[in-house]
Amino acid sequence: MRAVRALLVALGVGCGLWGVWLMRDFTREQLTSEAFWLAGGVILHDAVLAPVVVAIGYGASRVLPAHFRSGSATAFLVWGTLTVAFLPVLSGQGGKPGNETILGKPYVLSWVVLTLVLVAYAVVSAVWRRRQTRSRDMKTLHGSSS
Amino acid sequence: MRLPTVADIERRIPRPDDFESRARGTALTARVGTALGVCFAVCFATGMWSHFQYSTPGWLTLSPNPAQLYRWTQGLHIASGTAAIPLLLVKLWSVFPRLFNRPATGARGLVVEVLERASIAALMGSTFFMLASGTLNIIGWYPWEFSFRRTHEAVAWVAIGSLVVHIGVKLPVIRTALGAPIEHPDEHLDPSAPTRRTVLRGAFAASGLAVLLTAGQSVPWLRKVSAFSVRPGDGPQDLPVNRTAAGAGTSETALDPAWRLEVTAGDRTVSLSRDELLAMPQSTHRLPIACVEGWSRSATWTGVPLRDLLALVGAEPDADVVLRSLQTKGAFGSSRVVGNVVKDDRTMLALSLNGEKLDIDHGYPARLIAPNRPGVFQTKWVNRLEVDA
Repeated sequence: MRAVRALLVALGVGCGLWGVWLMRDFTREQLTSEAFWLAGGVILHDAVLAPVVVAIGYGASRVLPAHFRSGSATAFLVWGTLTVAFLPVLSGQGGKPGNETILGKPYVLSWVVLTLVLVAYAVVSAVWRRRQTRSRDMKTLHGSSS
Repeated sequence: MRLPTVADIERRIPRPDDFESRARGTALTARVGTALGVCFAVCFATGMWSHFQYSTPGWLTLSPNPAQLYRWTQGLHIASGTAAIPLLLVKLWSVFPRLFNRPATGARGLVVEVLERASIAALMGSTFFMLASGTLNIIGWYPWEFSFRRTHEAVAWVAIGSLVVHIGVKLPVIRTALGAPIEHPDEHLDPSAPTRRTVLRGAFAASGLAVLLTAGQSVPWLRKVSAFSVRPGDGPQDLPVNRTAAGAGTSETALDPAWRLEVTAGDRTVSLSRDELLAMPQSTHRLPIACVEGWSRSATWTGVPLRDLLALVGAEPDADVVLRSLQTKGAFGSSRVVGNVVKDDRTMLALSLNGEKLDIDHGYPARLIAPNRPGVFQTKWVNRLEVDA
């Protein structure tokens, strides 16, 4: 195990250094721009996205009725991660002037539909969960009375 | 009133224990991480395969077979990268409290910790970079100063390297976590809270949906389902266009009746009009346009096999060829076809597409179509064909 781990670390460092070597002829301007994009994601995640998600989770666990929590968490997870994944097409950027064949779908509309579908999922799963707990409670009630 | 001391500030910064969700934990992290690792491995391998099409290493001979190969590898490249986005976000969520671990005491512990944190910073920075630059390349938005292809390649090595280091560092933790049950031992204390299993299922569902909703750009039967895919399928002659004639600066030159195709080998040159090309024996094949952005589409192409054109100037049917375009704007105005691909009878100078005269945006008067070849090298508006001496 020790040898495997050492090998993996050495191999990984080697690959990383090869990557840096491939940048040896990049201009200062290119490297600055690259560094901005390398650091930008980490900062954006650790300083903005993650704290916001933690705050939402904290709030939801106190505000939402019990049967809503699980389904809402799934809906929010799917909604949040897909929104990030689809940010490029939702941004309204890109494409080429005079070329309608690249970004040819109503992306924002689809995103609104996606959001509504996931809200509906959270509600349906909450109703289903409440029924489940109720019938379980009823069973416990009958069980104890007999 | 006194100013806050370092200790006061430290007390205000949350500690890992302050994060209360029982859904977090290494049992979840290791499972999502494994799936993420598989995605990254596929993405890296297919990505390097794509780079080989641009600069082919000496040990590799590009083959025209299977004709659909690049379509598959590049479609897989984009799909695995897209699948990674939800997995990465969930994985980072599951370990976020560890960001607030207090530094170890003692010089050795501190050095190890700094190194480990540095490797994680490299891993996070490079994976964010890869996913962001890759998805922005799909829509053709380049808000940066570097070369996309070369930087995406170099940072890929940093990403895969720091991933391998990370696996090496965490191997014992990963093994223990994967062997243990996923549930938190105190899960029953708060039965209405989302569990690790809920989050794991949610992560896989999101990952699958991300692929399903974008893969229509390369998988024809998903075209209607993929509401977030680019290149939905409309375009002249039912085929999307990456670079239009206007974008390439060929709107006028391509329609010039004086257009001729020049075929040269050494001191021999043959000049052909489009009618003369049409009078030559034509061959018809169904071949895909498969682009680096992941989109691909098959179409029926008719034209003159490249090797027949080579015969006109007395060149060998498997000579290397360079094609030049009328294109005056943008990159990839010429491309090289290796002999191995030239001699294939499906490699042709196409004159028509899906039974109609080639649209100007698809490269009228003539364009290259070859099997198993990235779209950027399927040179359009060809006016010169040079055989390597």
